Amino acid sequence: MEDYKFLFKVVLVGNAGVGKTCLVRRFTQGLFPPGQGATIGVDFMIKTVEIDNEKVKLQIWDTAGQERFRSITQSYYRSAHALILVYDISCQPTFDCLPDWLREIEEYASNKVLRVLVGNKIDREDREIPTHVGEDFAQRHSMYYLETSAKEAENVEKLFMEIAAELMEQARSKELPRYENNSPTINGRTTVIGDSNCCSRMS
Amino acid sequence: MEDDLPTEYDVIVVGTGMTESIVAAAASRIGKKVLHLDSNEYYGGLWASFNFDGLQKWMEECRQPNKPSETVDASKAKEGEKLVKAGNQFSTVSNLEEKWYILEEVADSPEGQLSSKITQTEGEEHPASKAAVGPGEGAASSLGGESEKLEKEGNCEKPDSDEAKDNSVLNQRENWSQNKLKKEYRKFNLDLAPKLLFARGSLVELLISSNIARYAEFRSVTRVLTWINGRLEPVPCSRADVFSTQNVSVPEKRMLMKLLSSCLENEDANKEFEGFEDKTFVEYLKSKKLTSNLMHYVLYAIAMATENTLCMDGVNRTQRFLNSLGRYGNTPFLWPMYGSGEIPQCFCRLCAVFGGLYHLKRAADAIIIDANGEKCIGIMSGQQHLETANLVMGVGYAPPDFVKTAPSGGLSRGIFVTDRSILPSDKESLTLLQFPPLDGAREPVTVIEVGHTTNACPKGLYVVHMTCKQQTTAHEDLKAVVEHLLHVEFSDGTVARIDTDIKSTQTAHQEGSSAENPEGADASGERPAALKPQVLWSLFFNCPETSQCDFSADVPSNVFLCSGPDLDLDFEFSVKQAKEIFTKMYPESEFLPRAPDPEEIVLEGEEGSGEGAEQKEGEEQGDAQEGPKEAQSEE
Repeated sequence: MEDYKFLFKVVLVGNAGVGKTCLVRRFTQGLFPPGQGATIGVDFMIKTVEIDNEKVKLQIWDTAGQERFRSITQSYYRSAHALILVYDISCQPTFDCLPDWLREIEEYASNKVLRVLVGNKIDREDREIPTHVGEDFAQRHSMYYLETSAKEAENVEKLFMEIAAELMEQARSKELPRYENNSPTINGRTTVIGDSNCCSRMS
Repeated sequence: MEDDLPTEYDVIVVGTGMTESIVAAAASRIGKKVLHLDSNEYYGGLWASFNFDGLQKWMEECRQPNKPSETVDASKAKEGEKLVKAGNQFSTVSNLEEKWYILEEVADSPEGQLSSKITQTEGEEHPASKAAVGPGEGAASSLGGESEKLEKEGNCEKPDSDEAKDNSVLNQRENWSQNKLKKEYRKFNLDLAPKLLFARGSLVELLISSNIARYAEFRSVTRVLTWINGRLEPVPCSRADVFSTQNVSVPEKRMLMKLLSSCLENEDANKEFEGFEDKTFVEYLKSKKLTSNLMHYVLYAIAMATENTLCMDGVNRTQRFLNSLGRYGNTPFLWPMYGSGEIPQCFCRLCAVFGGLYHLKRAADAIIIDANGEKCIGIMSGQQHLETANLVMGVGYAPPDFVKTAPSGGLSRGIFVTDRSILPSDKESLTLLQFPPLDGAREPVTVIEVGHTTNACPKGLYVVHMTCKQQTTAHEDLKAVVEHLLHVEFSDGTVARIDTDIKSTQTAHQEGSSAENPEGADASGERPAALKPQVLWSLFFNCPETSQCDFSADVPSNVFLCSGPDLDLDFEFSVKQAKEIFTKMYPESEFLPRAPDPEEIVLEGEEGSGEGAEQKEGEEQGDAQEGPKEAQSEE
């Protein structure tokens, strides 16, 4: 009966307009640009992928526009397994804001969360941030790095598949139980919550 | 400019407290254009939860004298408009007292010694002998031995888990310094307004019916304690508890079950409570010839009432407790993971998902009123003139003229970081304790103890919250309860504890050894007293309590004020207030109809959404249910 073996929460952050929603829509629906108005009422998108013959369900959360004035609720970061920090390679200010985002991530996300830096919009001719600069930044902050184009569907599939594979690897090698001590995330949650009647059962 | 906001709204909400956030979500949910502002850089106002660092910043802000009030630039008003400056006394926190009880820094070596001592002790069979160990290094091992013994006693039925337990106990005795605690600042979530949720209370029902439950996680409160005959005792609250408890005799059990049943049976209510309409709940309980133990349980722990509570009020409170039993856990209560401050944010998230615009660190500097003073036109925020059909604001942000007739009351709050539970048990407990009014004169104090599994604090520590109605200052109001439950002497981590608590420790040893069989000790109702938790850090403060205020008197007809945190255990007051405000604004509209699940929205989804409706939120166990597959089948 089981529909999937693993469930992971992936959240996106980064300045407004860097293409977070486009990345999600491209990956989950194969659409670009995402339909107008469809964002209203959409909390997160779900896509089940297959890795090593195992079904992995990704729950991908978007910022609901709260990033526009730097007003993302802390609860957005809670229990995330992976965090994708996105900037626009053709827009220097979106890159300059990365340290601010990192500070917020440090503050509210689990310190073990898988962090990926993504330079989006590589289809653009007017690149302002060279690849190696992004790479350097990622390395300095121990993040994975990938450049994507939601428009051309470049590296989008790869981005999410690699995250899914990495998280599954962690879950398998029992690296994830480390979450149990900090913030209970899905794997922790299965046991911790089952024990204590947590009301994820609400509804 | 990035900071330029659109200038017209259906609803502007100022402040991200609980009521404000629910109203914002409800308005956005039915398609209204909502702007939600907060002058703070965090969500929740006086409802917020902070990590240790954030709390320090909050205190700094509180300590700052009120900024000299800037005059409102009247030139910004359009013709026929008046500007009224925002902000008033109800935003003020007072009597702030922070204190440390541990050293700023502890040298590495003593810590190492300490743990080796404890390890030695672990192997010894009769920890009671350790009472003889004098102060100094030996004290620490004695602590270790003592707790080990208590643990064993508490766990006679389940020897399997001994090992894991002992480990956790040893971890608890870690030597904390101020610096070490500060270093772990991110692991704290300390609530300004700690709240529990009744499992069948209005907030839980609303979270479920609106589908906002998916943004939050909860834990069940694992036990309800009471203070009786000078010590802590678990209150039997479920049927199973009543039958298994050793603190209540068999005839008492029958009495208790009968009483609780009659409180639940509504049909016979009239007959049962006839003649008690004007009398107190205590008088009713007395008429039932309850023993004093049972009276205490029902009055203070279950009804959470006082001697002055009227009969029907007490019955209602008892019903509220009983009705919430059996839904999620052993007690009727839930506690929000990461603290109560998450809850308003969940509503904000929903508001944003439906198009609400959010801006923290953005104040409403002035309210724009029409020439007659009857209607609010909008607000001035920074340089912007923002118009709105309705204005909803936290009471602390309202101009003083809007709250002229509001009486002032207050809450007394205490927050304590401790090194062990107020009543140690084999598993980490999440505890509610209604501390009865002492000497008849004082107010009851609500005590909530949470541990690291709720993300309230690092492993090995506990956070104790105390709340009561303000009489004098928070420190004074809570003093008696603090002294009963906690050890509030300074401790350098090695010596102080055994010195100051030596009496109670010795007593504990004697009791323990006189009753060879700990079960026997339990049966007689006597349990060795554990060492009281050492407080590492404490904070007291008073904040306004505004739930009793009538806010409609002095405000324009399209302005709605929201109360700050109230004394009640649950968020019910805010839910009720939010619903009232929403209904006044949009009488024809549904209040927070269920938000669709993502599966139901997928545009090209080839499967019916009916299935999605049944799907529970993804945040639960991976094996929960079969989920819809549209995303998958698209590829």
